[in-house]
Amino acid sequence: MKILAILVALTFTLSACGGGGGDTNNNNVTNDSNNSGSPSTPTDSNNDNQTPDAGDNEGDNSDTGAQDDIGAAPIVDVKAPGNIVRKGTTIVIDSVVTGGNEQLTYLWEQISGPTATILNNQSASLTVTLPETSSPNQDDFVFALTVTNSDGLSTYTETTIESINAMTQLQAAALLHQGTLGPTYAEIQAVIGKSEEEWIDAQLESQTTYHMPFLENYPNKEQPSHINRIDAWWKASLNAPDQLRQRVAFALSEIFVVSDANSALRGEPEGMTNYYDMLLKNAFGNFRTLLESVTLSPVMGVYLSHLGNEKADLAKNIRPDENYAREVMQLFTIGLDELNLDGTVKLDDNGNTIPTYSQLEIGGFARVFTGWTFAYSARWNRPSKNYTLPMQPFEDYHSSLEKHLLNGEVIPADTGAEESMKLALDNLFMHPNVAPFISKQLIQRLVKSNPTPAYVERVATIFNDNGQGERGDLAAVVKAILLDDEARKYSLVLEHTGKIKEPILTKLHFWRTLNASSQVNRYYTWNLSTTYGQGPLLSPSVFNFFRPDHRPSELLDSNLVAPELQIATDSNMISTTNNHYSDLVWRMAERKNTLNPNTIYMYGEAYISLLEESGLQALLDHYDVVYFAGSMSDETRSALTDLDSYFANRTPADRISQLLYMISLSPEFNYQD
Amino acid sequence: MTTYNGKSRRAFLSLCLKGGASVAALTSLQLQALGSTLSSESLTDYKALVCIFLHGGSDSLNMLVPTSGQHRTNYEQSRQNLVVNDAINLTTKTQFEGGVGLHPSMASLTPLFDSGQLAFVGGVGTLIAPTSLVDYQNKAVNLPGHLFSHNDQQATWMHGQEKVSLNTGWGARMLERLNQHSAFTSNISLAGSNPWQSGIQTSPYALSRSGVMKINPLSGYQPQVDHVKSIIDRLLQTPSNSPIQNAYASRLGRSISNVQNMNNLLEQAPILTTQFSDNDLSQQLAAVAKSLSISNQTSSQRQIFFVSLGGFDTHDEQLTRQPALLSTLATALAEFQSALNELDLQNSVTTFTMSDFGRTLTSNGDGTDHGWAGNQLLMGGAVNGGDVHGAMLDQLVGGPLDVGGGRLIPQFSNEQYFAPIAKWFGLSNAEIYELFPNSMNFDAFTLPLFNS
Repeated sequence: MKILAILVALTFTLSACGGGGGDTNNNNVTNDSNNSGSPSTPTDSNNDNQTPDAGDNEGDNSDTGAQDDIGAAPIVDVKAPGNIVRKGTTIVIDSVVTGGNEQLTYLWEQISGPTATILNNQSASLTVTLPETSSPNQDDFVFALTVTNSDGLSTYTETTIESINAMTQLQAAALLHQGTLGPTYAEIQAVIGKSEEEWIDAQLESQTTYHMPFLENYPNKEQPSHINRIDAWWKASLNAPDQLRQRVAFALSEIFVVSDANSALRGEPEGMTNYYDMLLKNAFGNFRTLLESVTLSPVMGVYLSHLGNEKADLAKNIRPDENYAREVMQLFTIGLDELNLDGTVKLDDNGNTIPTYSQLEIGGFARVFTGWTFAYSARWNRPSKNYTLPMQPFEDYHSSLEKHLLNGEVIPADTGAEESMKLALDNLFMHPNVAPFISKQLIQRLVKSNPTPAYVERVATIFNDNGQGERGDLAAVVKAILLDDEARKYSLVLEHTGKIKEPILTKLHFWRTLNASSQVNRYYTWNLSTTYGQGPLLSPSVFNFFRPDHRPSELLDSNLVAPELQIATDSNMISTTNNHYSDLVWRMAERKNTLNPNTIYMYGEAYISLLEESGLQALLDHYDVVYFAGSMSDETRSALTDLDSYFANRTPADRISQLLYMISLSPEFNYQD
Repeated sequence: MTTYNGKSRRAFLSLCLKGGASVAALTSLQLQALGSTLSSESLTDYKALVCIFLHGGSDSLNMLVPTSGQHRTNYEQSRQNLVVNDAINLTTKTQFEGGVGLHPSMASLTPLFDSGQLAFVGGVGTLIAPTSLVDYQNKAVNLPGHLFSHNDQQATWMHGQEKVSLNTGWGARMLERLNQHSAFTSNISLAGSNPWQSGIQTSPYALSRSGVMKINPLSGYQPQVDHVKSIIDRLLQTPSNSPIQNAYASRLGRSISNVQNMNNLLEQAPILTTQFSDNDLSQQLAAVAKSLSISNQTSSQRQIFFVSLGGFDTHDEQLTRQPALLSTLATALAEFQSALNELDLQNSVTTFTMSDFGRTLTSNGDGTDHGWAGNQLLMGGAVNGGDVHGAMLDQLVGGPLDVGGGRLIPQFSNEQYFAPIAKWFGLSNAEIYELFPNSMNFDAFTLPLFNS
C-alpha cells in the first residue's frame, strides 16, 4: 500500500454568544467538515467540558452562512501540502478565510503526534518542521487552527498530516547493505529521502535480471563451460538493477542447495544457470510454487538423485531412493524438529525435542518422487538430458503403493506421479514448521544471525498469511523482514544485532563499487571455493557452506550463532584477505601503466578525485557510508588515517588502494550491523 | 600437571549457567575440568592421530564382503546388482564365517594389511547402549538422535558423545585432557572446521594444502610491512559491543599469527621422496606428512589431524563411484604410510577413518541410501594389524540386525572403537569413560586395536 499524504480537515465554527465576550463556556459548535475521512469525534482542546450541542438556536445561521447583526464566524479553508509529506521536512499549511472581516487573529497548535517544531503559529499559514525519521512507520500529526475575528467569533479547524519516512544517507545505506549485493554510492544516494517501503516496493516491481542471457560460450568453443556460468553470475550480479531480487535469490541458493563443485553437474552450466534463474523468478513469488520448481528441476533431480528414481522391485531388493525425500524435509521445508511459530524448538513433556518425521514418512516421500526423469524423454531408459525444462513423469516407473506423508496423511494406492507430487508438496507446505524454518533462515541471510523469537514470529506470521489470506507470499516475507523494527533499529537497541558478511559478497561489494571489469569483458574467477570458502552454487554438499546453527568456538559461552564463521578458517581467512589485496592493490587500474586485456581491474577514479579534491577525511566519510553504513568507529578511522600517513607521498591511487585493503579486513566492515 | 585457569573456568561456568544447560547436564569430565586438577603426567613421547572422514556415509559393508558360504549367499541375495565380485581374500588372524574379501579397488592396501600395519573394525556404528532389533522396535533403549541424517550422524561420530547440550569433539577433548591444546600446531585440519577438533579451549588450525601461505601485504619492504601490521593489529583490537564482530576479529588475528608461525616452521621441512598422487585426499595427506616432518620443531607432543574425502553419499551410480572412491582412499593411505615410514614416524602416528553411517543393503536401483552399521580402517605401526576387529556382519535383508531396508544395527558402538584409540593416545581408562560417557554402557576396551 502506498502511503500518501492525506489532509483531513475538521472545522468547527465557534460563535460566541452575547456579543463577543470571549466566554468560551457557552460555545455553540457546528461541524462543517469539508474534507472528511475520519469518523472519530474530534476533541476540542479549548474546552474540556464542552459537549457537542446540536445548538438549534444558532446552528441554522452558521450552516447557511447567513449574515446577521451579531456577525458570523470566519469560514476557514485549510490547505495542506498536496504531495507526499516526508519526515524531517518543513512544510507550510495555508488557510484561506472567507466571509469574515479583516481583523483576524490566528492561532495554530499541535494537537497530537510526535512533537513538531512550529516556526510561526500566529499567521494565516503554519510553517512547521516535522521530526526526523524515528520508526519505520508513518507519523500522524493533528494541527489545529483557531481563527478569531474582531467580533470575537472563532472557527476551529483540525488538520491531519501523515508523514512518511525520508531515509537519511546512513539509513539508506543500512537498508541497502541488507537488501543488495553490496550497494554503490550512487544507489545509496538515489534512495536518500525515500521511505524504506518505497524502495522495497520499487525493487519488488522492477524487472527481473535473468542470468541466462549472460551465459556465453567458452572462447573458441561451441558451448559454455563451467567458468562461463560463474562469468554470467558476476555480470548479472554486478549490474542488475533488481538488487533485492538478486540478493534474495542468492540467499535461496544457500537454502535450496545445488552445486557443481564436485558433481556431474559441472558439465551442465546451462542447467545450473537456469536453476539460478528459477530462484530469481520465484524469489518474490509463492513458496509453494518455488518448492515445486525446485523439486521438478532436473538439476536438483540429478543433484539429489530423484531423477530416474524408480518404484520398488522387491525381487531385486530395490526400493525407492530416499535422498530427495529426506533432504526436502530436513533442509528445504520443515527441518528435523517441530518448531514453534517463533522458530524455537518444541519440547515434549519430558523436555525432549519432537522429530518431525520418521522412516515411515521418508519411505512415503521416496515413493512420491519415483517415476520422474528429463522432460521429453523418448523412453524411461532414453533420457533426453534436457537440463532446463521441469522433469516429467513416466507412470510405469512411479510407485503405485500408498504413500505416508506428514501428520498421518496418506496418499492412496494407485495415485499418479503428478498428483502424488502435488499432494506431497501441499502436505509439506501446510506443515506449521515451514514458516518459522524458512523465515528465520532468510532473516539470517539478509539481516542478522540471531533474530529474537519475536522477530521470527512476526515474519512467520506474514509467511502464513500475507494479510490477504495467502500463505507463502515471499515478497511479503522479504518486506516484513526488512521493514521489521529489529532490522531497521529505529527504536530497539538490541545487544546482538547483525551478522558477519559472507566473504564472496564482500568481494562482490568491492567489485560493484569499483566497476571491476576486464577489457575482454570476462569474469573468469577460478577457485572461488578454495579462496573464499564459497561461491555461487558451489557448496561442498547440500548442507550449504555453513549451517544456520553454527556456533564458533569463540561464542561457546554465549547463546549466539554465527553461521558465516563456519567457513572463516585460517586458510580461508588468509586467502580471502590475500585476494582482496590483489583486487584492491595489485589490480587497481590507476596504479598501472599498461593494462592486460584479460585481467580484471578495479577502477578507483571516483575515490582518487575525492581524495585529491577534498582530502582524506572526506574520502573516509565516503567509505564510511558505502562500506560501513555509518558504523566506522573513531578507532577505525584513526587507524586508517595513520595508515595513510605512511603512504602520504605515494600516488593517490596507491593511497586509496591501501585504505580499501585495510577496510576489507577490518572487523567493522566485515560485520553487517 | 595443570589447572584450568580462572578465566576459562568462569567462562565455562557462565557457559553452563547461561546456556540453558543445568549443571546436572554436565558430564563428570566437565565437572572435573572445572575445579580439579588434570591428571596428565608430563608426556615423554610423541604421538599423532590422523582422522580421515569419509563424508556422505561410506558403503563400507561393501568394502569388506563375505566370499563364501551362507554369508556370501545372503550377501548376493541382498545386494543384487550392487554385489562386489572379485573381492580380494584377506588372511585374517581371526576367522570369520564366510571369510573376508576386500573390495578389489583397494588392492594397494593388501601389503599394509599383510605386514600388520592395517586393521579393520567391523560392524561399528553410533549407539548409546547395546541395542537389539526388539529393543529398537519397542523403543526400549535410547538411540542416537536423528539416525540416518548426514550432518547429525557426522556430528555424533565426531563428538563421541550423545545427548550433551554443549557438545565438543572427542579429538579436542583428548588434547585438552592431555593439556596439549595450547599450541595451535597440535590441532590441524586440512578440511576446514569440524566438530571433532572443536573444543572449549581449542579449535583446528586450517592448513592450506600448499602448506606455506604468503600473506600478501606482510611481505616485502620491512618498514612498510611493520607499519601495515601495526595498523592491522589496531583494527583487530577495535573495541566492539558485538561478540560476533569480536569473534571475527580474534579469528583473523589468530589466523595471521598462525600462518606466519607455520610458514616459519614449514620452511624447514625436508623434501620427502614419497610421491603423493594428485587426488584430493593424497594432497591433504601430503600436507599432513609435511607438518609431521617438522613436528619436532613444535612444542606439541600430541597432534591431531583431520582430512576428509567426500562423495560417499552414493545414492546413484554406486557401481562407478564407489570403486573410484575406495581406490582413492587406498592409494592415499598407502602413500601416507610410506611417507611415515620414510620419516620414521610409523609407530607414532595412527590413522583411522570415520564416516556418517553405513548404507542400506538394499539398492534404490543404482545406489544405496543412508544406513547405520559399517566398517572402518585403522592404520599404523602401533596398530594390531592383519585382522578385522569386531564383527563381519551377516548382510541379510530382513535378518536379525535389519531395522528396515537393510539398515543394520551396529554390533559395536563407535565409542568402543574410539576408546582404544584414546588409550593409545595416552588417556587413562577413567579419563576415557569420562571422555565417552556412553562407553560405560559397553565393554569399552574389548576391541584389541593396538599391539600391547
